[in-house]
Amino acid sequence: MSGKQYYRPGNLEQCLDFLAENGRESVLLAGGTDVMVDMRAGEIDKSWIVDISRLPELWGIELQNGKLWIGAAVTLTELLNSKLLQEHGFALHTAALHFAARQIRNVATIGGNVAHCSPSADTLPPLLVHEAEALLAGPCARRRIPVGEVAAGTYRSALEPRELIIGFELRPRSPFLADFQKIGRRRELVIARVNMAGLADMDEDQRMTGVRFALGSCTPVPRRFADVEALLEGSRPGRELFWEAGRLAAENMIRMSGRRPSFVYKEKAVQGLVYRMFSPLLEA
Amino acid sequence: MQGNEQGLVDISITLNGREQKVAVPADMSALKLIREVLGLKGTKEGCSIGECGACTILVDRQAVNACLVFAPQLDGKDVQTIEGLNREPRFQALQQAFLDRHAVQCGFCTPGLLISVYALLLEEPCPDRDEVIRSIAGNLCRCTGYHQILSGVDRAINPDAEWRPDVG
Repeated sequence: MSGKQYYRPGNLEQCLDFLAENGRESVLLAGGTDVMVDMRAGEIDKSWIVDISRLPELWGIELQNGKLWIGAAVTLTELLNSKLLQEHGFALHTAALHFAARQIRNVATIGGNVAHCSPSADTLPPLLVHEAEALLAGPCARRRIPVGEVAAGTYRSALEPRELIIGFELRPRSPFLADFQKIGRRRELVIARVNMAGLADMDEDQRMTGVRFALGSCTPVPRRFADVEALLEGSRPGRELFWEAGRLAAENMIRMSGRRPSFVYKEKAVQGLVYRMFSPLLEA
Repeated sequence: MQGNEQGLVDISITLNGREQKVAVPADMSALKLIREVLGLKGTKEGCSIGECGACTILVDRQAVNACLVFAPQLDGKDVQTIEGLNREPRFQALQQAFLDRHAVQCGFCTPGLLISVYALLLEEPCPDRDEVIRSIAGNLCRCTGYHQILSGVDRAINPDAEWRPDVG
């Protein structure tokens, strides 16, 4: 017997009360697809497993007050089936399409994907380009932080042990271009070597506006690149421009992560993938 | 809900149509519960990290990897394994189509593959080949090369389907 214990709170208040007491000895379980693997590998050694998957406060995808709300316990399959997301968060919808395999999408949650703080989390680049905020609940207060600040580092959360993510608020956008790109060792069920998301509108002068770009799997924490966005913003789409944007993204990656052995490949891959992602605008 | 005095978690599941109560350790996987506690060995253990799909089961009619689900998460859920699905005529037709098209060699991946395809057919009775391929992307087969499996699914969808050697 492992001596581990299971607790499934009936509502958020019970959950917070429990975490106030036992947060440091607890691991939160939503879908469980990462927790199970990490626990079996001995990487998680907590005495309490707290199952938050049935907290109604963590459910739902809704447009409210001009924001797109996505509950932390929403599964990847639910993202994939959401018409609202297809309309207002297409890049995230595309990420859900390429996320692991069906058996995993049916249980894995968006909150878990973010909270796990993997550098290659597929939902992160789309959440970043939608300027998402994570809504956190703790024993005393609720707070919101930019989704890029949930991870303090690779597999390291910035949340307090008594806190949990209850959901995300995205800036809804239906731009001309909204995309997610990913490459890995095979087409399906793969951990990304490179993943990225981009948004761009076109004004009446055929110039790009509202450009957002985020890169995953290449830096300790996925992030937006302001200089890549600035390069594209206000410009007309062009092959050389997109090639240069890709080069700049790769240069950023090397500056932030140092020269790593995989970068011989990733430098070219990042550049090519940026080009591929924005190239539909060439025909705009 | 919380564990009982022995530190076990009392759960209640509907397993293959029958309600069952069982006490499980907090960190036991659904796979271990099904194979070792409940003795149903049709669900296979392959990689144990969610990559091979050999342990695919249906939970509330959705395909999931039993190796990645904690047994207490099954509380109150409808769970179906190959042993229960065996009794359903549509599932039997799928099994027969697999046999007809030689989609089974060593057989280790077969229960998981059948369940993944069946979960797709529950939602979409006439999927196209891309949908079929995507639905089994989480199931590895090291024997057949997948041609026969896709052909078996073709036959299950349309019994008159010709053998198609091409794979998308």
